[in-house]
Amino acid sequence: MKHDHDHPHDHDHDHDHGHGESGHPPAPPEPVATVDAGSQALEEALRSSFVIVKVAMAVMVVVFLGSGFFTVGPQEKAVILRFGKPVGEGQKALLTTGLHWSFPYPIDEVVHIPITEVQKITSTVGWYFTTPEQDLSGEELPPGQSLDPARDGYVLTADRNIIHTRATLYYHIDDPLRYVFDFTNAAVTVQNALNNALISSAARFNVDDILLRDQAGFKDAVLLRVTELTEAEKLGVSIDNCEVQSVPPRQLAGVFSAVTTARETRTKALQDAQSQTNQVLSAAVAQAVGITNLAATDRDNYVKSLKAEAKRFTDLLPQYQKYPALFAQQKVAEAMTEALTNVEDKMFLPEREDGKPREIRLMVNREPPAPKTGAATP
Amino acid sequence: MKRNVLTLIIGAVLVVIFALLLFVFQVRQSEVAVVTTFGRPVANLTEPGAYFKWPWPVQNVYKFDQRVQNFEDKFSPTLTADQNNLLTSVYVGWKINDASAFFRKIPGASVPAAQSMLESMLRSAKSAVIGKHPLSEFVNANPQELKFGEIENEIELSVQNELHTNNYGIEIEFLGIKKLGLPENVVKNVFDRMTSERQVLISKLQNDGVAQAAIIKSGADRQASEMINNAVASATRIRAEGEAEAAQTLPVFEQNPQLANFLLRVDAIKAALNQRATLILDERTPPFDLFRNLPANPPGQ
Repeated sequence: MKHDHDHPHDHDHDHDHGHGESGHPPAPPEPVATVDAGSQALEEALRSSFVIVKVAMAVMVVVFLGSGFFTVGPQEKAVILRFGKPVGEGQKALLTTGLHWSFPYPIDEVVHIPITEVQKITSTVGWYFTTPEQDLSGEELPPGQSLDPARDGYVLTADRNIIHTRATLYYHIDDPLRYVFDFTNAAVTVQNALNNALISSAARFNVDDILLRDQAGFKDAVLLRVTELTEAEKLGVSIDNCEVQSVPPRQLAGVFSAVTTARETRTKALQDAQSQTNQVLSAAVAQAVGITNLAATDRDNYVKSLKAEAKRFTDLLPQYQKYPALFAQQKVAEAMTEALTNVEDKMFLPEREDGKPREIRLMVNREPPAPKTGAATP
Repeated sequence: MKRNVLTLIIGAVLVVIFALLLFVFQVRQSEVAVVTTFGRPVANLTEPGAYFKWPWPVQNVYKFDQRVQNFEDKFSPTLTADQNNLLTSVYVGWKINDASAFFRKIPGASVPAAQSMLESMLRSAKSAVIGKHPLSEFVNANPQELKFGEIENEIELSVQNELHTNNYGIEIEFLGIKKLGLPENVVKNVFDRMTSERQVLISKLQNDGVAQAAIIKSGADRQASEMINNAVASATRIRAEGEAEAAQTLPVFEQNPQLANFLLRVDAIKAALNQRATLILDERTPPFDLFRNLPANPPGQ
């Protein structure tokens, strides 16, 4: 632009407040005929440079307008601020993925907002001090005698125990306008809500519930509290998930693991007792069934045999009534035959000639308890 | 002359742009602005957009971030109502709600100055509120006795009131306890107490395990013997049923008791002399009576 300041008409406006050196006031056009060869050459040069300037200006205008194009990526939204005010109301102000155009600065300003990706925040209270290097390598310094409140984090439980706990929160941005325009650092605000949720939940859970009995309940309490807080604070985020990890202080790791061992021993003792119970009970069931079955069999046999007896009686009665003496003799003889067949030792003791009673002496041995088969022992 | 018109237009546009730069300013979304005329606040702009002003040195524009800012105080000890030394740190979300008041009241109208003022307010509010509550209202498994939320609200209210009374142009959006702790030497005592609590728990678990196992086992034994007793009782009942049923056949034998009696005795003999018995007989017992009545050989033949 500086090249054309000698030109009679153009520089008037361009350099209103510019350079004091353009001293020529606007003058009537100079007679062209009077110019000499020198000034003619100068005019040629000026004219051609003026063309270049015009082209350059046109290019600049194009570039100026073209600079208003911008793209919005898949993981973000964008808002155009026109004179500082969002273009469009509420959710309509959000531009989605694609190519967009805005007026260049200072008319419009484009603000990109990450949205679809899940944001992740970790609590900053509640865990003992580790350096990032230790976190990476997994090695930790041995714990000191106590916890330094300036460095080590911990939470107080409802029963005034001290434990370490940390939470990782996953959330995404629901209302990008609030998230960006209402908070200087919404991520830190979410983090503080998470910290608060962690310590306020720990304050109403007992140590064994947090560490063991009700881990899920504690996690849910943290999740619920952080959700309430972020809603109450109108952060424009929605909470997806939360992971909570809790450990006893490292200084007390031994005694805490001894409790775990004792608990396992107790569980095992109870399980053993239970399995013994099952054995005892099933044995008892078997025995009881055996007893009743035996009784049932006995009953059936008894009834059957008595019925058979009755039938036999009815069958024999006519014969007996016909020949009572003969019948009796026959039956006795039958019985004797059977008895004598079965009996092992038979002794026949004839009467003495003189008719006096004989004296015999028997030596009776108590028999040893014999197996059922009945061994033939004298 | 056509070219002159064009240049005139370009020139006019440039003038307009320059004038706009001088006379117009923007208040961005998330900002508030105070306009001063010769140093005196005359306008308080809360809506985003473009506004007119007289150029320097007549009017000046001061812009402030009106978004919620995070602030947390130092982790510092305070005595609770029951004389426990409790370390607390609270976080605050605060924002400028009245830019002209903020501009007038806060030294340099700067955020750090505002925060250091907030910090001292928090300190006094905390010590006043925490001093009214025993430690058991900070941590408690009983929701009725736990006053965690109430304590936070009291601190917030106290700071809010002070801000309001003094009209600093600041308001608190939310306040919460970020961290609770105990002094280092107290932590050691807590560790000792926790250790002995754990040891009590260990012995309780051990004893309880033994006792519970014994209870379970004796319960099983009792149940088993009860089952067997029941079985014995029902066996007796079953047998009695059999006898009752058998009794129905007795009238059959009534037809001839003599025969019945005789048959019973015959059966008894058979059963008694079944096996492993020793029988001593003489010749009067049939069938051995045969031997007695044997006709003797005539002597001398």
